[in-house]
Amino acid sequence: MTEMAILYDTSLCTNCKGCQVACKVWNNLPSPIGTNENKFSGSLQNPADLNGNTRLIQTFQERDAVRGQKPVDWIFNRRSCQHCTEAPCATVCPAGAITKDEDTGFVHVDDSKCVGCHYCEGVCPFDVPRYRTEGIRDYVNKCTGCPDRVAQGMDPACVSTCQPSALRFGPRDEMLDLAQERLEILKGRGYEDAEIYGANEMGGLHVISVLKYGREATGLPANPSAPATVGMTRVMKPVTGVVTGLTVVGLAAMFALGVGYKRDKLVYNPETEDTVSLITGDVVKHGDGQSEKSVKEHILENHPFGIGKGGSDE
Amino acid sequence: MTSHWCDFQNTDVILHCGSNSVENHPVSSLWLGKAHDRGAKWIVVDPRYTRTAEQADIYCPIRSGTDIAFYGGMYHWIIENLIDPNLEKYLATGEMGDYNYEYLLNYTNASYLLDPEFDFDPETGLYSGWDEKTKTYSNHSWHYQTEKEENWDTSASGDYAWVKKDGVPEFTTPTLTLPKRDMTLRDPMCVYQQVKKHYERYTLDAVCDICGMDKETLELVYSTYGSTAKPGRAGMVLYALGQTQHSYGAQNTRAMCVMQLLLGNIGIPGGGVNALRGEPNVQGATDMGMMVNEHPAYLKWANTTDRSSLRKWLESQTYSAGYYTNKPKFIVSSLKEWFGEAATVENDYGYDWWPKVPSEKGDQDYTHISTFELMKQGVIKGYFNWGMNPCHSAPNAGNVRRSMANLDWLVVADQVETESAAFWKAPDMNPAEIQTTVYFLPCALIYEKPGTILNSGRWLQWRYQAVEPWDQAKPDLEMCDLLWTEICRLYKEEGGANPAPILNTKWDYYVNGKIDFRPVSWALNGYRTANSDFKAGKVDLLKGYSELGADGSTSCAMWIYSGFYNNNDAPLDPAQQPIGRRDNNDKSGLGLNSNWAFSWPSNRRILYNRNSCDTKGKPWNPDKKLMEWDGSKWDLVDQGDFVSAKNGQQVPPNNNTFFMLWEQNARLESYGMEDGPMPEHYEPFESPFDNALNGSQNNPMIKFTEYESTAHGGTDEYPIIATTYSVTEHWQTGGQSRSCPALVEAMPSQFCEMSEEFAAEKGIKPGDKVRVWNKRGSVVVDAYVTKRLKPFTIHGKTQHQVGLTHHFGWTHLYGTGDTVNDLTPNVGDPNTMVPEYKAFLVNIEKA
Repeated sequence: MTEMAILYDTSLCTNCKGCQVACKVWNNLPSPIGTNENKFSGSLQNPADLNGNTRLIQTFQERDAVRGQKPVDWIFNRRSCQHCTEAPCATVCPAGAITKDEDTGFVHVDDSKCVGCHYCEGVCPFDVPRYRTEGIRDYVNKCTGCPDRVAQGMDPACVSTCQPSALRFGPRDEMLDLAQERLEILKGRGYEDAEIYGANEMGGLHVISVLKYGREATGLPANPSAPATVGMTRVMKPVTGVVTGLTVVGLAAMFALGVGYKRDKLVYNPETEDTVSLITGDVVKHGDGQSEKSVKEHILENHPFGIGKGGSDE
Repeated sequence: MTSHWCDFQNTDVILHCGSNSVENHPVSSLWLGKAHDRGAKWIVVDPRYTRTAEQADIYCPIRSGTDIAFYGGMYHWIIENLIDPNLEKYLATGEMGDYNYEYLLNYTNASYLLDPEFDFDPETGLYSGWDEKTKTYSNHSWHYQTEKEENWDTSASGDYAWVKKDGVPEFTTPTLTLPKRDMTLRDPMCVYQQVKKHYERYTLDAVCDICGMDKETLELVYSTYGSTAKPGRAGMVLYALGQTQHSYGAQNTRAMCVMQLLLGNIGIPGGGVNALRGEPNVQGATDMGMMVNEHPAYLKWANTTDRSSLRKWLESQTYSAGYYTNKPKFIVSSLKEWFGEAATVENDYGYDWWPKVPSEKGDQDYTHISTFELMKQGVIKGYFNWGMNPCHSAPNAGNVRRSMANLDWLVVADQVETESAAFWKAPDMNPAEIQTTVYFLPCALIYEKPGTILNSGRWLQWRYQAVEPWDQAKPDLEMCDLLWTEICRLYKEEGGANPAPILNTKWDYYVNGKIDFRPVSWALNGYRTANSDFKAGKVDLLKGYSELGADGSTSCAMWIYSGFYNNNDAPLDPAQQPIGRRDNNDKSGLGLNSNWAFSWPSNRRILYNRNSCDTKGKPWNPDKKLMEWDGSKWDLVDQGDFVSAKNGQQVPPNNNTFFMLWEQNARLESYGMEDGPMPEHYEPFESPFDNALNGSQNNPMIKFTEYESTAHGGTDEYPIIATTYSVTEHWQTGGQSRSCPALVEAMPSQFCEMSEEFAAEKGIKPGDKVRVWNKRGSVVVDAYVTKRLKPFTIHGKTQHQVGLTHHFGWTHLYGTGDTVNDLTPNVGDPNTMVPEYKAFLVNIEKA
């Protein structure tokens, strides 16, 4: 199969959330079922963010119109995995749970292999991966690109349900051409900030977006990049792969309790015995020949809830 | 719709008024998007900036309930700017410029002279013919002056020879009164001059003052939409319940028709008056006549006055010209299906077995809203509630619950336990005090039964069964059959009141002993009675309704559907019938898709399509050709909606372009409405403002205000305007959608949408709970604070409006909420009795 892509056109999108629901249904992702357990977010964007059982949400933002006759710009977007060519999540995944499909370019997930380390959360420039907890373990959850459907010649579930053809699926170069056509229509209609997103970002995304109001207004990073530490993981991964379960569970415990939008993730590199910030690449604590037990202490020292005697990860 | 979904792509200007189709009819956006990409301009007129408005080019706010002021202002603008300036030049030279004078003059009644008594008095807000005692109009003075009269030729060689055939019931044939006309449009009594005079009050300033938009925006809307008056250009208006659910909802719809006629936008590709129906099959339900006044296929039921016998029905309903001269064929064929062999010319084909709707002035009304008053009074003691949920969806739903508590018995047929099935355990009801016996009949979902489905664009499509019904659930038809069979058995064995209509009803829709939709389809399509015997599985299907007779030789339950199931080679295989066609090759290039399924009537995709050509039969827009007269014959791309051939001969172009009316021209002024011949602005039942355009505050014929339960609330206590609407994520009263966890997660509750300004005034923050109440009820919902709703300035005063969604109730597992329809007023439109859900008053506080 050739390199594929989803084309998402924010100007054709009516934000009906059909894709959001189709994703949950096709992928058997449960929704909260307690009476009135789901809470209104204050706008049409529900649930408010991605979670361990939600791989795709449609977002709604309002602002006073920047130009034109209409009083308001109502900015719609698709919040889900962008399927980067240079996918840091796949690079850092120590367990082979997140992998690149070398044919299509999509970033697949096999959560049966997930060890719950949360590395992928910290390196994603789009803050996409989420975890669901089952028993004592966490499992990664993010858009897989519906490889089961695509292998059968079908479109991903979200694309198949889109009424206004705001979502398309096909060879990546064709999607880029289509995006260009759409961009010209939008420019002609007076949307001066309209642009294509994903042609080159992160080595080229496999979700190509046509943004009616541009990347800044839509809330997408202007220049997405992987944290500096991702490069190190080529060294780290073989090592972490053989580190005892205790280390991995310990890391998981640390990250599962993390809250907030952009969390600074710490990892321990057993080879150099350093504790490193995943976001900045800075060494938070240098190696000192720790024993395995001190690794655990070390982690707890930097626990976001302040367990242990150390400070926070600021 | 006069058009259909795929035709949206052909328009030059889209006007959404009273519709949020992108949100509530998601599939519409595909076709609207195509038009937009081809350069169409898109206008949304709505109280709030909706998901549809985000797609559009122009957004124009409007205070709920003031649509007629908006349309009246548009007529005034069109007349002042497009028609009047060049009318004399057109009359002298035939030059049209930016306005289609040929359409106005020849295809509408603009040139018809009205009765000299015709009048409207802005002081009282009343038209001529008002009777203060009965609060009703006589429409006598709304008719035309007569030029001459013509009678039907019923001789053996005449057009109406069929009237004299054996078996045709006797009736006096109608006389055609040809109206006087002034083709210069100068006569002060001509419809054009009367329209012009009537809407002189609707100036830009007056409209902005009433509706609350600014003048620049309004002019932009008028000039953009007015650009479709140019021959060859098309404008399309899309509407839904935002137009119809008012105490003058039918006049809102009329208002759109008048606008489209003034602009020459009816019957052309990309034009039309397009109602987006709320249920996939609601157009089908409407066609089927599940209403008090309409028999299936838009024929009127028997009543106690002008339709009290078959003869009277024929004499009051048969048109003097046009296609409805055939109504005797439709009604007799229908009676033949109702009563089969028992229907004979001697017994008026069983007409007197039909119940008769009380129709004297002052007779009890039995429509939806009154039903619950009659329960309260103890008149109605038992109630079949089939496929609806009035305890949730009816206006003043609290009143509905309390009324239902007076019933002896209630039957609810539905897929889930709805609020109506569980009315007795509503939070404000005491089950111990309610003696009603409730029977619940679980019914099959659409996927669990085969049958027909009809969309807003009048396409009939066959749907196959996917899975077996769950547990004991049954398709509605099977439930009907079980009930009917048992009722007949009891009548036969024990007797009962009025046995004749029951025991003479034809009921033989079985295949291999099981009730089946296919013989029902034969009945709807029509067949020759002589060669058909349903019990023997034999049928001689008609090709279409042109083969119907008034002499008892044909049976047909739905003349408008005739032709949808007409293949005698495979009467038991829907796939080989027109309704089963699935060929999406489109030769027209206009998305007519004539070989996909069947569009009633007669597979016609665009109604009134003769209007797409000029008086010589040449298309206004050659690139969008529905038909063309080539000098000797018609080249029909769509099925012609006019007489293109007669007795095997081609009929050259004439001006009978609206042949479903006896005038065969469309009505800018119409005597057919109960409450006035031209749309006039009145305020909603509850409004903070006096009517600035005339002396009648409300529609003079507004229905049901006499009921105490309507509980009018004044502006002092209830200063906020409210309206109601739906969201994409939920479906009506939520029976289906609130049973789907993913949909509840996508929209977990009801909200009250309000402006930032109003929220600040009341100290309300996004996501707060707010209490919304009036004299009818009180609900607590979530606050949705948005930039997309702005306070209006009306007559110089700041006015707040909020919007409420209405999908939740006290039943179901995943998401529950208060019943928002506890707030809506149970008043209605005098033509349709539709309730006023879309504009009423409330007060609001942080809960």
